[in-house]
Amino acid sequence: MSSNHTELTVQTFVDVHAIQEELEQVRWGLHSDGELSEAAQHAANEARASVLNLIAVVGNEAEKDSVIQVLDRLSVTNPSRTLILLAQHTKDADKLEAQVSAQDRTESGHRVTTERVILHAHGEPARHLASLVTPLLISDIPVVLWWPGGPQFDHPLFDDLCQLADRLVVDTDQGFDQADLRRLLEVARREQARASIGDLNWARLIAWRHVAAQCFDIPGVLDDLAGTHGVSIYHGSDGSTAQASLLGGWIRSRMATVGIEVPLEFRADDTFEHGICRFVIYTSGDDGPGRFSFNRLRGGRLTVEIRLGDQELARRTVRLEARPPEELLGIELTLPGHDTLFEEALAAALR
Amino acid sequence: MAQAAAPALTQNILREGLILSRTPDPAVMVIFGASGDLTARKLMPALYNLALNRYLPSGFSVIGVADTALSEEEFRSNMADAVRRFSRTQPVDRAVWQSVAEGLSYVRMSFDDPEAYGRLAAELERLDRERGTNGNRVFYFATAPRFFPVIVERLGASGIARTGGGWKRVVIEKPFGHDLKTAKELNQTIHSVFAEPQVYRIDHYLGKETVQNVLVFRFANGIFEPIWNRRYVDHIQITVAEDIGIERRGKYYETSGALRDIFQNHLLQLLSIAAMEPPPNFDADTVRDEKLKVLKSIHPVDVDNDVVRGQYGPGWVGGQEVPGYRQEANVSPNSTTETYVAVRLKVDNWRWADTPFYLRTGKRLPSRASEIAIQFKSAPHQPFAKTAIQGMTPNVLVMRIQPHEGASLKIAAKIPGPVMRLRTVNMDFFYGSSFLVESPDAYERLVLDCMLGDPTLFAREDEVERAWGLADTIENGWAAQPAPDFPNYPAGTWGPEAADALIERDGRRWRRP
Repeated sequence: MSSNHTELTVQTFVDVHAIQEELEQVRWGLHSDGELSEAAQHAANEARASVLNLIAVVGNEAEKDSVIQVLDRLSVTNPSRTLILLAQHTKDADKLEAQVSAQDRTESGHRVTTERVILHAHGEPARHLASLVTPLLISDIPVVLWWPGGPQFDHPLFDDLCQLADRLVVDTDQGFDQADLRRLLEVARREQARASIGDLNWARLIAWRHVAAQCFDIPGVLDDLAGTHGVSIYHGSDGSTAQASLLGGWIRSRMATVGIEVPLEFRADDTFEHGICRFVIYTSGDDGPGRFSFNRLRGGRLTVEIRLGDQELARRTVRLEARPPEELLGIELTLPGHDTLFEEALAAALR
Repeated sequence: MAQAAAPALTQNILREGLILSRTPDPAVMVIFGASGDLTARKLMPALYNLALNRYLPSGFSVIGVADTALSEEEFRSNMADAVRRFSRTQPVDRAVWQSVAEGLSYVRMSFDDPEAYGRLAAELERLDRERGTNGNRVFYFATAPRFFPVIVERLGASGIARTGGGWKRVVIEKPFGHDLKTAKELNQTIHSVFAEPQVYRIDHYLGKETVQNVLVFRFANGIFEPIWNRRYVDHIQITVAEDIGIERRGKYYETSGALRDIFQNHLLQLLSIAAMEPPPNFDADTVRDEKLKVLKSIHPVDVDNDVVRGQYGPGWVGGQEVPGYRQEANVSPNSTTETYVAVRLKVDNWRWADTPFYLRTGKRLPSRASEIAIQFKSAPHQPFAKTAIQGMTPNVLVMRIQPHEGASLKIAAKIPGPVMRLRTVNMDFFYGSSFLVESPDAYERLVLDCMLGDPTLFAREDEVERAWGLADTIENGWAAQPAPDFPNYPAGTWGPEAADALIERDGRRWRRP
């Protein structure tokens, strides 16, 4: 796949009307005098396509730079208008800067131009950034709010932006503790909640969930799933447990749908510093006690061992490579509506 | 830990919600004809890309079967070369390929040797034991069609088609028969061993993203379906144009021709998809029932008036001089095989009564293009001055299947300025510019669907037989006509003059795709 990425125009503004005007120009390719802009020349004969308004809230310059890189790569599958908000709630003088740019990307002969606005606010304007965001959104397409670090649940900006968004995407691997998870669940279950919740950490679990589910596709093994009586999850030694909690919550919530309460046990393990190291599902069935073990290996692999009674039923090694952030985000952007499975897993993890 | 009561589960509750990565059951794919072109160019790259996108289950295995002297190592090495050369994604990820290669094995055998099927059975049992494939099998016939019956019979007689538990499916490449009689015979042979739901007849056009997108375009958007009928549509043109000749396929093409090669399958499938009624759901049989209804509604073809055949002579294509069909390798110098066919069809139902469908396909045409063009009727009244609307043409909605996948709508717009003058402009939607991600190859989608047991995008027995019935009507009509005066169009042109006359008699013109 050949790829090419060009920054077409970059201009800085402080006035929302000026930002809107420049956005229109970079989007439709006309300067105010009617001449074709540089963006238009690049985008000549190409249809403009946007599937999303994507608002990313960052905490500092470094985070902003890494978010820009992720969003650039994401535009391959999700051409969007992106608004990156850097709100610094300091007592500095009030200040608002806006940078408008268009990106031209070519992949395998197809070209797409997308727009990006970076809003950098200090002081009082930082509290009211949502008022600036609203007029900059493209109408009739969904608004996704991505908060790559931990959201400031108590800040008014969080609520204001959630009001605008159809989906809030967080990453509970970014230091979420049990209290944060509880707040997230509250947001998801607010009465008449407009925004559904997505979690990159949940997307990371897809491979684990697949492998676990596959074990019970083996003919005759489904009955053992009904005999599940315990799950042990071993997480990395750095103390972050959100991923392990979600995995445990997932199994517990799934089993609860058939009336089985599954006790969860969490332990720290020093095989890996971060993330899930391994987990074991304990079952009982006609063939005796069952043990379904999933062990993460170095080099992006995972071994699966299934023992029923005295017999080893299967032992396999499968790939478990880390997905890049844009891929995880891309997964979350394609999910429509509330992800009830995630919300149930989150609730079960907190029980 | 507490012992829980164990209710009986009827489904794997851990599977719920895992819709993003469709992973089929662990299975063995047995490829008959594993040393051939199709395996190298299409199947193995498709399997590699499925693995790359995590669609293949752990334990997935392939047994290559062919009568070519190859060691297992040589087979693996050939397949690695094939993926390096033909995979749509490059460079090849070594770890992913390694995971695929671990599951590759090779059995050298003659397709008609009953004893060899015992060795194949032993290899399948080994894989079930060692890789947990649980008796699940895809038998992929990537051989010349003449081997289909004997392979089916041997799979049945050896018990491979039934033993080992699990599911068994068979994938059959086109051409599925040579005419209605041979298609029925082949169906009978296959059904002596495999039931219809186990049979997956590939028409790779149906695996193309943009063909599936026609269904989405029609049935997921409320604005098109209300005008998708005889009241608003003047006619529909379906084109499958190729700029290449027959390449190295002279021997095959002499027995096939454009009618059997493209019309009987690709063109009629596109017609079915463009003309079908909205299905109540997307179940395989519901969709295929609707497609079949279209084929059943086609008005009997008057071959003398509704069909034109052609054969290319020498000419120039893309700035290069090319030989005529009769000068191609393995082609008779007096060949009367058609390389072009244009057909006017009518679909006798409420939606399409009196709305002609013009279908055409040909080789050595000026450009490569597959598309469905919906030509709408003119606005009933033009309030603008005649001078303002000079040169205006009615709206056309074109769904392009290849190349440049997407859709375009031709509409009228005012030319900026103080005078009211109109011009037609194209609103283009390039599939690629909304979703820059590369579309999967049709074989990836179809192989995956087969492993998942979803036959929606495969041709069913009755569809295939109905399509052959239509092709036979035309073939029989031609047989009753005097020998055609071929060649009748130079390479690099849009077909014979008679094809233009066919549509111009109705006061219409072929589009330039």
